[in-house]
Amino acid sequence: MRRRFLFTSLLGAAFLLSGAAPQTGKLPVLDETGYPQMLSGQKGKVLLVNFWATYCVPCRAEMPQLVKLQQSLKVRGFQLITISADEVEQEPQAAQFLQKNAVPAPFYRKQAKSDEKFINSIDPKWSGELPASFLYDKSGRKVKSYFGEVDLKQVEREITKLL
Amino acid sequence: MKKLLVSAALVGALGTHLFAQQFSLGAKVPALSATSLQGSAVPINPQSSTATVLIFTSTRCPVSNAYNERMDALYKQFSGKGVQFVFLNANSNEPASEVAEHGKSHGLSYPVLKDEWNILADRFGARSTPEAYVLDRTGTLLYHGSVDDAQNPARIQNRPLQAAIEAVLAGKPVPVAETKAFGCTIKRVRKTT
Repeated sequence: MRRRFLFTSLLGAAFLLSGAAPQTGKLPVLDETGYPQMLSGQKGKVLLVNFWATYCVPCRAEMPQLVKLQQSLKVRGFQLITISADEVEQEPQAAQFLQKNAVPAPFYRKQAKSDEKFINSIDPKWSGELPASFLYDKSGRKVKSYFGEVDLKQVEREITKLL
Repeated sequence: MKKLLVSAALVGALGTHLFAQQFSLGAKVPALSATSLQGSAVPINPQSSTATVLIFTSTRCPVSNAYNERMDALYKQFSGKGVQFVFLNANSNEPASEVAEHGKSHGLSYPVLKDEWNILADRFGARSTPEAYVLDRTGTLLYHGSVDDAQNPARIQNRPLQAAIEAVLAGKPVPVAETKAFGCTIKRVRKTT
């Protein structure tokens, strides 16, 4: 019994540490206060924060390319962070999508007190359309915002300039 | 002949549109035109009603669809009371036939017009669905934004679109002029300019 518990715990820890989405169907949540804290915790890296949702077809379509970007540029100091804009009712589907596409951590689900304040705090020019991505340099300064479907090759070029 | 005239009107509108400024809050919106699902031009004249409400919607966007009943309720509540509603589909990947079928299958009371070449979406700067605008009788743009503040009706705390409509009808200032919400992007036609 104790051996089985230890084995399960180690397996769970390994699963989480591997960066795969949790099989519990739950994602860590992020609100208006958590977002800047999350950014400052990643200083020193070039960040691309990607907002997506399970209901957003172009979001789902671009995710595999974003994952490839993370895989190829991680060693140079790039970090992809994904934030699901899904409602709590769709959280299991969001977690499943992340898992199926091997999207690495960090990943979150937004749970803001006010979506509008959250959107405006990230970029007042953003109307909330998805997908949306925000590029930050190593000092944490936002250098570019991408609204809607974008040319990810162009995004890669912008990222590479900052590395 | 009718199709030729509508096409000519669209080409003319597109040409004018490419150089037209985007409406921002406080701007005076002139008489506009959209296209019925049968292909005929439909005039939109703000001067014909105390308030004009334009809402960009989608057949396929789950966020827009989450608002079907609420938009229908607003339409039923305010239609006979000096408000003209203009529901617009500006998605290039959602043909008129699909929009017609969507309305029928969802039991929507309101008609939806096609915004061909996303001319109106560009003029209003609409980027996602659903996205709403309210004009007064002079055509002044007084509200831009979401229907309310929660996709799940059980979590609604504010109804800024309704508040804006009521304010315009009462001749009072709109309490909140601009709001934002997450939604699906409007699938625009790629124009070469």
